[in-house]
Amino acid sequence: MLARFAESVGFSRAESARRDSRLEEEVIGLFDQFREPLLRYLSSFGLALADREDAIQETFLALFQHLQRGKSRENLRAWLFRVAHNIALKRRMQNRREFDAAGSEDAAIDPALGPEGQALEGEKRERLLAVVAALPEPDRRCLFLRAEGLRYREIASVLEMSLGAVSESLSRSLARMARAVERCI
Amino acid sequence: MHLTDRQLMIAIDGEGNSSDVREHLDACWKCRARRQELEGAIADFVRVHADAFDGRMPSADGPRALLRARMAELNRPHSRLRFALPIAALALLLLGVVMARELMTARSVHAAVVSVPDARLTPGAAVLESRLAVCSQENLKNKAVTAALRRKVFEEYGIAGADPRAYEVDYLVTPALGGADDIHNLWPHSYSSTVWNAPVKDALEDRLREMVCDGSLDLAEAQREIAGNWIAAYKKYFNTDEPLPEHRR
Repeated sequence: MLARFAESVGFSRAESARRDSRLEEEVIGLFDQFREPLLRYLSSFGLALADREDAIQETFLALFQHLQRGKSRENLRAWLFRVAHNIALKRRMQNRREFDAAGSEDAAIDPALGPEGQALEGEKRERLLAVVAALPEPDRRCLFLRAEGLRYREIASVLEMSLGAVSESLSRSLARMARAVERCI
Repeated sequence: MHLTDRQLMIAIDGEGNSSDVREHLDACWKCRARRQELEGAIADFVRVHADAFDGRMPSADGPRALLRARMAELNRPHSRLRFALPIAALALLLLGVVMARELMTARSVHAAVVSVPDARLTPGAAVLESRLAVCSQENLKNKAVTAALRRKVFEEYGIAGADPRAYEVDYLVTPALGGADDIHNLWPHSYSSTVWNAPVKDALEDRLREMVCDGSLDLAEAQREIAGNWIAAYKKYFNTDEPLPEHRR
């Protein structure tokens, strides 16, 4: 009897280790798929790179535990963005750092455009960056999430807003950008 | 009656399935043109958004190793932490090395100390020539320089890969003394790596403007002196061989 009990405990431990190992690989696969989109999205919080990396680590550890507990696997992409969003908000509250704008400082302009085209492209870029920087935070986040391919329902779930508010926010931001671009043509 | 931007966005993103909207778009040139404008703005934003990160994404190797170690740690009983902790420490070290290397290659390779402008690239240029015009305008300290112009200045000075935050793209003849928004009047001035840094020059600019506006210095003379050798001008007008402590930052 005791032997059978020990055997069953040994078996369940081995099974659990195998399951955890599969989960680890699954989480690493999702990490490879979503780390870059999350890093880009978290830049809308004005967090420095190291803070964004930390927030992403926390997000994927939370995912690992979420899956270990057998919780819902429905739309893990939206789940990841929502959790990363909340962690980034918390981190920003705890540790307000200078906006890491280096990423947008000196992106190259296509040399194939020629001097005039480059100047125009540069001006257009400046205007767009200015419009994006001046957007209210929820609008900017909506835009960044849409740029990462999230559907309206997913954006609504990440930002805890209604579907109508998402479409309103996106159309408002895009209309502003269209006006800015129009002014430099 | 035309479609709203919101209706157009929903149609563009395939979020709605309204036959009324489709029929209206088929019939209405104005709404189709507006849709095209919004799509153009999307394309422009996507390009700018991608440009901001293109080639700048740090390697995933360190963070991935750290995540593996931390998941392994969560799975192990406390008695085995002695194995997990060194792995996590090793992963942290690896992450640190990778991030440091990213930062070094992205920003510091070309980080040169620049405390005086190259006279061939930055001879100085002015637009306002009357003292009245200069003194009646607001003191334009650290007037913003567009990112496009900043990029050109960095390229001209051969520091295109340097950390932009280490430099003030400075007007040689400050706009507060009639300096022009012209690449020949701009140079990348190191903030801190030298004694003669940007805050010290800012102090000289303030002093010269005060003197021009109170009539004790001719505007053209001030422009000539700051464009010719700003460090010599600082020494002359503050009567010192070193930057004064209150001007150092």
